[in-house]
Amino acid sequence: MLKSISMIHWLKIGLIAAVLSLAGHSQVAQAWWFWTPGDTVDNVGYKPEQPIPFSHKLHSGDRKIPCEYCHSSARRSFSSGIPSGNTCMGCHKIVRTDRDSIKKITEAYNNNQPIEWVKVHDLPDFVRFPHKRHVQAKEQGGAGLACQECHGKVEEMEVVEQGAPLQMGWCIGCHKERKAPLDCLSCHY
Amino acid sequence: MNKDQMDKMSQGSEPKRQTAVTSIPGYTMTDRGPEVFAPLDGPLEAPVKVIEKGHLYMGVEEVMPEVDCAEAPASAGDEAISKTNVDRRDFLKLFSAAAVASSAACVRRPLEKAVPYVNQPVDQAIGIPTYYASTCGECAAGCGITVKTSSGLPIKIEGNPEHPLSQGSTCAAGQSSLQALFHPERRTAPGFNDGTRLSTYAWNDMYETLAKRIDGKKVAIFTGGSTGSRNSFYTDVLKKMGGSEKDLYTYESNSLYEAISEAHQMVFGVESMPRPDMRLAKVIVGLGTDFLDVGVSPVFFAKNFGNFHSYRAGADFGKFIQFETMMTQTGAKADERHVIPPSSEIVVSLLLMKSLLEKNVSGSAKEQASRILAANSTILSDGYDLVGISKDVFDHVAEELLKAPSMVLAGNSAFDQNATMLQVAAALINDMIGAYGKTLFIDRGWMRSPVRSGDLARFMENAGNYEVVFFIDTNPVFSVPQSFGFVDIVKKIPMVVSMQSSPVEMDDYAQVILPINHALESWGDEHPVAGFWSARQPVVRAVKDTRQAEDIFLWLLAAQKKSLGYADYRAYLYDKWKALMALVDVKGVDFDTFVKAVLRRGFAGKLETRPAPSVKEVAGSFKIAEVATTKGLRLLAPLDPRLGDGRGADKPILQEIGDGMTTIAWDSWVAMNPNTAAKMGFKRNDVLSVETDAGALKVALYPLPGLHADAVVINRGNGHAKSAGVVQGGVGVDPLVLVGKTVDAATKAPVTSGMAVKISKTGEIYRLAAMQKSHDIGNRTGIVKKYSVEEVKAYKRERSLDDVPDLYPALAEDEAAQYRWGMSVDLTKCSGCGACMAACAVENNIPQVGRDQILLGREMHWVRMDRYFAGDVDNPQVTFQPMMCQQCAHAPCEAVCPVIATSHDPEGINSMTYNRCIGTRYCANACPYKVRRFNWWTHKWGVMGDRPQDRMPRALNPEVTVRTRGVMEKCNFCVQRLRQAKYVAKEQGRLIRDLEVMTACAQVCPSDAISFGNLKDQGSRVSLDRNEARSYLALGGDPDKNEFGIKTKPNVSYMAIVAHREPLGTGQEGHGASHGAGRASAGKHDAEPVHGEAAPAAAAPESAPVAPAPEAAPSPH
Repeated sequence: MLKSISMIHWLKIGLIAAVLSLAGHSQVAQAWWFWTPGDTVDNVGYKPEQPIPFSHKLHSGDRKIPCEYCHSSARRSFSSGIPSGNTCMGCHKIVRTDRDSIKKITEAYNNNQPIEWVKVHDLPDFVRFPHKRHVQAKEQGGAGLACQECHGKVEEMEVVEQGAPLQMGWCIGCHKERKAPLDCLSCHY
Repeated sequence: MNKDQMDKMSQGSEPKRQTAVTSIPGYTMTDRGPEVFAPLDGPLEAPVKVIEKGHLYMGVEEVMPEVDCAEAPASAGDEAISKTNVDRRDFLKLFSAAAVASSAACVRRPLEKAVPYVNQPVDQAIGIPTYYASTCGECAAGCGITVKTSSGLPIKIEGNPEHPLSQGSTCAAGQSSLQALFHPERRTAPGFNDGTRLSTYAWNDMYETLAKRIDGKKVAIFTGGSTGSRNSFYTDVLKKMGGSEKDLYTYESNSLYEAISEAHQMVFGVESMPRPDMRLAKVIVGLGTDFLDVGVSPVFFAKNFGNFHSYRAGADFGKFIQFETMMTQTGAKADERHVIPPSSEIVVSLLLMKSLLEKNVSGSAKEQASRILAANSTILSDGYDLVGISKDVFDHVAEELLKAPSMVLAGNSAFDQNATMLQVAAALINDMIGAYGKTLFIDRGWMRSPVRSGDLARFMENAGNYEVVFFIDTNPVFSVPQSFGFVDIVKKIPMVVSMQSSPVEMDDYAQVILPINHALESWGDEHPVAGFWSARQPVVRAVKDTRQAEDIFLWLLAAQKKSLGYADYRAYLYDKWKALMALVDVKGVDFDTFVKAVLRRGFAGKLETRPAPSVKEVAGSFKIAEVATTKGLRLLAPLDPRLGDGRGADKPILQEIGDGMTTIAWDSWVAMNPNTAAKMGFKRNDVLSVETDAGALKVALYPLPGLHADAVVINRGNGHAKSAGVVQGGVGVDPLVLVGKTVDAATKAPVTSGMAVKISKTGEIYRLAAMQKSHDIGNRTGIVKKYSVEEVKAYKRERSLDDVPDLYPALAEDEAAQYRWGMSVDLTKCSGCGACMAACAVENNIPQVGRDQILLGREMHWVRMDRYFAGDVDNPQVTFQPMMCQQCAHAPCEAVCPVIATSHDPEGINSMTYNRCIGTRYCANACPYKVRRFNWWTHKWGVMGDRPQDRMPRALNPEVTVRTRGVMEKCNFCVQRLRQAKYVAKEQGRLIRDLEVMTACAQVCPSDAISFGNLKDQGSRVSLDRNEARSYLALGGDPDKNEFGIKTKPNVSYMAIVAHREPLGTGQEGHGASHGAGRASAGKHDAEPVHGEAAPAAAAPESAPVAPAPEAAPSPH
């Protein structure tokens, strides 16, 4: 965590600490800032525990299931979509039914309960990120990006972690490079 | 500002009058005094507007200061406001507390969960909306709607574009339907009400218990109006329960339905309401009609009227002549408007009949008419004096009616004793002028009444015979005048079952309360036009644990072992629709395929035809109830155009868009003619005590130009009991307490107008939240342009609207962009109905803030409805102008933003980036159109909060950011829709087609007044509109005279009002010119240049009268 913080970030933290110390409660605030678990300034590497220890490495890497087999609306919607219970059960009705986590999914499915996954790549509510525009092929007017360009090498991750800062400067950098729209209304409305 | 400061400021010049216009310090460089800012301890002065003769006015107080509210008002409302006033020290205290709190909250942003479907439906994906065709249930008109749902929740309602009634539009009430659906106060379980406590039951237990209790009892069903299969279903239910169709009672407060159908029964012997096709008419004469607001089918009529009364490129268009007492929004669109005394429509109709008979008319109606006139000669003899209009006018109107295809529409919702007779007279006139078969249709596709005439009276007579009465989706204890004693009748019924989709007063009198599904959760159908069926299907699973009303009866019957043989109401409907399949001649497909097609399209049918009915003997039964011949104040209590009889009052959207004419939101008011008010010494906001023989109430005054001198108008709809809910409870007053027990002789419907009124001042003052002044654009002129038909035909604009001299070259990226979004608003068509405001609020997650905040000028409408008067206060010309962000190319707001939160978009949109905004509000100050809105609060959605601004039922659009406190917002041309359309177009490798994407306001407009599209496409509708000669830019000066106003270069343009009349309020007589700056400085302040750049030369001619003597006989032209 701390070792991934660059010089710029140290400066920022120092500045914020200075401001907070002026406000008269520096100790608490600084401690909070530094030791909040999982927190780096840009969230890269954020790796929350999920209700089911789903391994992308196994499914996507070893078994080579394409991303869009499960995240099926990435090509046609704003949201890439978290796979529904019946998508999991499509295979796991017969595959590895003896594993604890599969039993957990089966039970939830049979009880008509959704699995509440923890969002890893979470944009603020004031940002509109249309997956389809980025994933669609260039002939379709899309950017033709691979999922990995923003999400990192998910197929190598046992537990999914945030692959890119997802901050505006990072978005804009790519938009500039690829001559994508830069007006505010492209993403903020 | 105190006197000393004033003197200091005006050093070296003559003492000036203490008006804020002249006392704004530092206005010109030479005048800059030592003090630049007003001292904080002095009272802030409201700017005094300088009003000139012949100009537009926003409220009558501008031309008649004697009726303006004088003292600083103090009332209950102000207490609430003072609570929000935080002084500097309190602010610092709060701020430091907030700083501590915020430091404690300085942790990772909260964990967000991603919750997928368990079983994802095949046709559903997160983020891709699904649309369902259905039928609106807000009134009995039966408009077809398309409901957009996202993740199973409805988020927006549009008119079904293929549906012949709604034609792609809805009214404001239709838009607000979602707020009723998601209302937090909806009941969640059925229960027994013992007067003090509601004991709730599970539905299955309730069925069992209730079925036993009502078994073998004498049952009646009292329900709101419907034209669909519901009535036959209830009849079937009653027959199973041992009753007959006579035990079914239908009631709608809008008794126009009854009056019109009863009149046609009398005249033609057939049950129908004529279906108008105004496209075919050249002249429409209204006898007190208010078809755009509360009528038979407001959206259908507005569509019709929009076609009839719109000018395009030199083509002739229809003329609308209106006789009315109230100032209705329909009357505001009239080319010729004659003000008549209360309840004198019947006299006007007879006088018109007389003038027509003197011309060469034919037909059997002529004979009936002459006998009617002969029988009523006493009324006719002094009729002209009574209505105050000379014979010449009637002769001229008769001539107009006979000259071209025409029609007469009569009746409004301030129901009169002679309401049915007025419809009879109108039917006879229509027959004499040959309207039937040409412009009005009763022989093919006639409209059907949702109610059976006279049912209310029949119920009140028979109620004692019943042991159990079901009240379904109707609230007669509120909507029937109290003097009818409906409450007492209900109290005597041993068992009252109230079945409502949201809690209403009726529940208080019921022993059993069964919450039922909202129309959006229900199956059903409507049959509004003969042969034309509109289907209703649920678009969402019941939000609360409610049941469909019809299904409840099926369960009750099943529990009594008297089953009707249908599993649910859908099965019953399908059974009925089998007949429909034969009607529309569908062959070769099975019924399931047919039903799917109907549900997909939303409607089916083939217009029914029948031989044209002929006029029957009617003169004998034509009896006019006593017409008041004495002068004196009389009450009119019409249905509110938005709230109706009160069913819209619990929807914050409808309360907040306010009344079109007065712009008052969240309240009731009494409207009086300003001259009458001045004579009686009343001022605006004075609380008056209004008394009739039946009762009395206290309500604040709004002097409304255009009312007859004797008219006292209080709209119905508000005045709900506190128990009826947090939103509507305690808002306003109910004028029905003033209404006596008179009925229309023919239909026995309650009469809500004509009572003699005594009015006195109470001495109290109550601030009405009239929004017109909230966003005052000061003394700027060039807002509204008007032409008469002759002028506009002769007028050629010399330069394009975009041809504005400019120091700066056009931006390269603007030139390169494929789109330039623009909007055009046709003021000739706009009738100020407020549907655009409602649609905008639903689409863009705009909060409703309540009365207190509106009084502080903090309403959040992205599009507001400005209303201007011009001319005589007794009969003014009225302009409605939807005012939204003008999307200026040279936007004053952009230049002042210190953080570039608002910026120029190459596609012509003035973008607003919420997350950049730090809330300086500089942009709102800079905006000359006053269309920017600041979030003073973080609003709570989906709960009934303590604060009025936290009472929005949740119907949020997931595609639009919900703004928090401290952020500026404004119209952005529904950019979320533009983005979606652009993505689709890009996928298909093309540009967005014209009319493929529309803003919410353009899509909903029932009059088709708003067009939206790409200005770079020369063939788009909006380009054609913008290039029409009468288009102008608000505050854009007069380009023909090389005056360009404030040169903001907006992408929104307005199309000037064209009417068959001499335009008033244009500043100069003649065509709407001279909209240069600085006109404000003329008039009585002619010596003082106010604006630095002002050129007071463009003063209005003295000849343009503010309040000319009422025209005795407006000359026909």
